[in-house]
Amino acid sequence: MADTVKLQLHSRIAYVDLVHAMTEELARRAQFAKAEALDIALAVREAFINAVKHGNGMDDAKLVEVEFERNASRFRVWVRDQGPGFDWEKTADPRDELNLVRTSGRGIFFMKSFVDSVTFENLPGKGTQVLLEKKLEASARGQAQSGRHR
Amino acid sequence: MKASVRHHGKVTVVDLSGKITIGDGDIKLRETVNALLDEGRRAVILNLNGVSYMDSAGIGELVACYKRAAEKGAKLKLLNPGGKVQDLLVLTRLQEIFEIYRDEREALTSF
Repeated sequence: MADTVKLQLHSRIAYVDLVHAMTEELARRAQFAKAEALDIALAVREAFINAVKHGNGMDDAKLVEVEFERNASRFRVWVRDQGPGFDWEKTADPRDELNLVRTSGRGIFFMKSFVDSVTFENLPGKGTQVLLEKKLEASARGQAQSGRHR
Repeated sequence: MKASVRHHGKVTVVDLSGKITIGDGDIKLRETVNALLDEGRRAVILNLNGVSYMDSAGIGELVACYKRAAEKGAKLKLLNPGGKVQDLLVLTRLQEIFEIYRDEREALTSF
C-alpha cells in the first residue's frame, strides 16, 4: 500500500522553501540517503517554482497542488498548477555553448538531472501536471517496508 | 544566505554562507556584488565554501553577476565551491566559464 501526502498552496515564491523542506523530509523517511533526498528536493523545488511562475503566472489566487507518494519501489511527486499550459519540449539545453551564460532556463534541466524521470502532462481545462519519480534502491526498499512512518 | 566582505588591497573577497536560492540568497548576492561594482571594486572573489546548495535562480544570479562584472570591466572569480555547489557548476558546465580556485592566496594573486 502506498503512503501519500498532499499539499495545496497559493502561488507564492515564499512557499518554495516549505515545499523543499517537506520533500527532503519525506524522501528521508522513504530511506533515501541525505544527498539523494536533497536531489529530489531540488527537483521538486524547480517544479514548484515553474508552477508558480510559468504555470499560474504568479497569480496568488491560483493553487499549486503537490502530492507525494511512496510505494514499495519508488518515490513519486506530482506538482499540478492551474495555468494555461506550456510547451515544455521547446526548452533549450542550458549546456549548449550558446546558452551557457544565460541567466535563466535551467529549471527543467535541474528537474531531469536530479530524479530518474520527469513527465509533463497538460490536463485540458485544468493546468499542467509534472510527475517526478525516483526509484528506491533494493536496500532502502527493505528498510522502508519494515519501518514505515518512523 | 549571509555575505560578508573582506578587502585585500584591490581584491575583494565575499564570504558566502547558507544557500543561494530564489527570493533570498539570489537577491542578497545581487545586492552585494552590485554594491561592490558601484564602489568601483574591479577584482571580486566569491568564496562559496559555506554555500550548501543553489537552485536554478541562484545559478542564474551567479551568471548575472559574472556578466555585470564583465560589463563594468571587473573580474569575478570563485573560490572553494563545496560538494553540491561544485556538482552544480560541473552539471551546468559553468566551471568552464568561471575561474575557480581552491587556494585563497592563489586566487588573490591571480588578478
